[in-house]
Amino acid sequence: MANEVTKTMPPSTRLRRTDASEVTVDIRTPDLEINFGPQHPATHGVMRVLMRTDGELVTGAQPHLGYLHRCAEKIGENVEWLQYLPYTDRYDYLASMNNNLGYSLAVEALLGVEIPRRATLIRIICAELNRIGSHLVAFGTYGLDIGAFTPFLYCFREREWMMSLFEKICGARLTYSYIRIGGVFNDAPPGWFEEVARFCDVFEQKWPEYVDLLLVNQIYVKRTANVGVISREMALDFGLSGTMVRGSGIDWDLRRDMPYMCYGEIWRDGAYKIPVAKGEMGTLGDCWDRSWVRVMEMMESIKIVRWCLDHMVDGPVIGELPKTLKVPAGEAYVGIENPRGELGHYVVSDGGKVSVRTRVRGPSFCNLAVLEDILPGSLVGDAVAIIGSTDIVVGETDR
Amino acid sequence: MDFQGILDRLVAIRAPGLVKSDEPRKADPKDKKDKGRAGDPFVIVEARELAEFVRACRDDDRLHFEQLVDLTATDPSKDAAELWINVQLLSLKFRHRLAIKAFLPKNAASMPSLVPVYRASQWHERECGEMFGIRFEGHPDPRNILLPDDWAGYPLRKDYEFPKEYHGISCE
Amino acid sequence: MTPALLLAQEAAAVEVGSGSNAFLEGLVATLGEYLPMWALWLGAAVTGVAIVMGLISLIAMFSVWLERKVAGHIQCRYGPMYVGWHGWLQSIADGVKLLLKEDMIPRDADRVLFMLAPALVLAAIVAAMTAYPLAPGVFFADIDLGVFFVLAMSSMTTIGVVMAGWASNSKWTVFGAMREAAQVVAYEIPLGVALLVPVMVAGTLNLREASELQSDWYGMGWFMFKNPFMLPAFVLYFIAALAETKRAPFDLPEAESELVAGFLTEYSGIRWSFFFMEEYAAMFLMSALAAVFFLGGFESPLTWAAGEFFGRELFVAGANGATELNLQAIPYHAVAGLTLLLKTFAGIFLMMWLRWTLPRVRVDQVMTMGYKYLTPLALVCALGAALWEAGKQALLG
Repeated sequence: MANEVTKTMPPSTRLRRTDASEVTVDIRTPDLEINFGPQHPATHGVMRVLMRTDGELVTGAQPHLGYLHRCAEKIGENVEWLQYLPYTDRYDYLASMNNNLGYSLAVEALLGVEIPRRATLIRIICAELNRIGSHLVAFGTYGLDIGAFTPFLYCFREREWMMSLFEKICGARLTYSYIRIGGVFNDAPPGWFEEVARFCDVFEQKWPEYVDLLLVNQIYVKRTANVGVISREMALDFGLSGTMVRGSGIDWDLRRDMPYMCYGEIWRDGAYKIPVAKGEMGTLGDCWDRSWVRVMEMMESIKIVRWCLDHMVDGPVIGELPKTLKVPAGEAYVGIENPRGELGHYVVSDGGKVSVRTRVRGPSFCNLAVLEDILPGSLVGDAVAIIGSTDIVVGETDR
Repeated sequence: MDFQGILDRLVAIRAPGLVKSDEPRKADPKDKKDKGRAGDPFVIVEARELAEFVRACRDDDRLHFEQLVDLTATDPSKDAAELWINVQLLSLKFRHRLAIKAFLPKNAASMPSLVPVYRASQWHERECGEMFGIRFEGHPDPRNILLPDDWAGYPLRKDYEFPKEYHGISCE
Repeated sequence: MTPALLLAQEAAAVEVGSGSNAFLEGLVATLGEYLPMWALWLGAAVTGVAIVMGLISLIAMFSVWLERKVAGHIQCRYGPMYVGWHGWLQSIADGVKLLLKEDMIPRDADRVLFMLAPALVLAAIVAAMTAYPLAPGVFFADIDLGVFFVLAMSSMTTIGVVMAGWASNSKWTVFGAMREAAQVVAYEIPLGVALLVPVMVAGTLNLREASELQSDWYGMGWFMFKNPFMLPAFVLYFIAALAETKRAPFDLPEAESELVAGFLTEYSGIRWSFFFMEEYAAMFLMSALAAVFFLGGFESPLTWAAGEFFGRELFVAGANGATELNLQAIPYHAVAGLTLLLKTFAGIFLMMWLRWTLPRVRVDQVMTMGYKYLTPLALVCALGAALWEAGKQALLG
């Protein structure tokens, strides 16, 4: 490396004698190009950010994607409608329930099938529990990025229970394929709702630990406040969604503003609020605001789960659908509020058994685009904090 | 605003490139072949005018589409002569969406980039470029994004043939 | 008394009579007629180094086990449980694993420096370790400039770290090395100045003597209680020591989430474990300095009682003028040694507790803290303590 630097050193760095008495030295050295990834502890997967640094200062950044590209969209054009469902688990593997839900809703929009109310409520419970789990990982691993190891394990303690709840209802812990087109795969086992209620109670007790241990920790605040500021205009221009826009102070949540399933009803009941960052610790739209939004959202999800448990009805859990699904010709775009933002599915059918186009609009993919603009000017340590605060899942950026 | 309201407004402001609207309909009982159309309503726009069209949508104070949610393309079939460009706009202020479709000939798939209007479209256009072979004129950084730089062919086109090998790695 | 302690005691330089090295004297007496003097010197040196190395290994192994248990319990888990009772053999198993690992040197690395760096780091810490007194009468080297020596030697490790970072020929390691250099330079000053406060109170740089000076008040005459500027100085010293030993929240040279593993990125196996041992030995030394200069060293009411009961002198002049071991005083020395060890490990535990609780500080914040806050505060403490001592002397004579 020594040689490489010397060779590329611009002439101005050499000694230059202007006159007999004085010598000017330009001590600036050329920038260092450094590969942040593909295998790096802070990229949360195989992503590469090519960074140009001047010492500790990042002067340029360019994300490189595609290391985890698994052709999800191409597969969608080659398998039957229902067969594609397991592939949806795999893009945002931290929020598989939400992915199942997004795809199912998109196909249902074409089918026009009636979803039983019990199925809808179970869907919401699963999606919200999954949101809690996803935010726990996001917040925990963010702590890891900042250098705090312990909150990560605290978060995983609760997530473990959440996953075992899912294991009880569908048999899988990560890739559920539980929410199906037309409803959910099966009814909840006996005692499951009671356990979910217990989970909610325990989670409410444990939640303050995250706040005390990490969120309001002075070092954490110093590391994240005023770092990676995304302004309101920038958030809109880059098409950010979910926690990223709420972290920039935009009061927007698809669950409330473009309700799907019965989120509108729950909102009218006043069961949940939308936490919107106010820039308490620094500038509005900094990393701290985004993590604050995530932590607060966990509690709101608990409230939604509680509402669903209180309003649970008996009945079937899946609508009447033929074994081999033929979807009427047409096209539909359905966006839902995934833990990371708007997960859109754009499906096109020609009336056959296989879709013509299955487009996945991944929130991580869109949220990541902002990196190129907000990374330059930060320190290397800040770069880690900023990448962590966008809460990407590389499985989804690359699909 | 519902779709009809948006459409009326688009006509009223003479949005550039607006061709017509396409709304879902029931199957015509008299025509056996017609199966109707399901899903969302959308507007059809001239591809060359798309950038100006979305700019009009963004800047109009009653439409106020602040966000470009998605930009993608679709290859409807192997024999089709045209690709579709599908754009989803979203207004946070008025809580409405607009789906836009434009047609691009497969053999001359080139259109102006939307990046000057919405920077959100930057990565979406790169993806369309590598997957469908669409050239976005004026795109600031038209590299491949998900595929390797030397990938041959456009995978999401229906006439794409799967490669036998890639740099000595068998794909079969 | 364990064999190690006996050996250590033999190896110890004890000031009796001529004030020369007792172990060397013994060697000269027994083997002087068979071997030349230089061989005896070499033998004494090798034995001493071997003992210190053994001690460092023991400390490192125990500290690693302790760290994992502490981390485990802080994080709602148990830590190692399977290898031995509560996993106490885990460190040995890890050591064996590290020894058996492939010895890897990156192709483009500077081979000589790459291999030299861990050795230098370890050598520096071994040298520093010799100043650690095992018990009031048992020590490797009774150095009059003890504190100075420890600080000088332990900052030598920085050179090894920078060397490792440069020699690895990786960008991440260079980042780590640069951070280490900057950080150590920034924190050496407050560290030294904060230590100046107790040194001023004690009037000596010798660790053993400093400890002895705290034996009044029934073993509670710790410097901590003798000067009001001692408590802030202790806090400053502890923070600076954290930075000096590269411990969280100042683990920037390693910063695993930022720099992959910092200067350690390219190291593996036994070479890596040298750095690891250095880290724990440095923690131990820093805590030991804190224990000796702030927290009473060997002294506690229990040590005082043992001293009163058993007597304090380990070596007494015998009937014919020769030095004799006073076996009666051994319990006192054992209690004293354990007291210091306990205080040292209390400091290590505190370091671990902090590591597993706090996030990492950013690099500019580390610098700001070192230069803008710790250094001036330490200077204020030193000035205050000096005035206090001067005033005390003026008033009390």
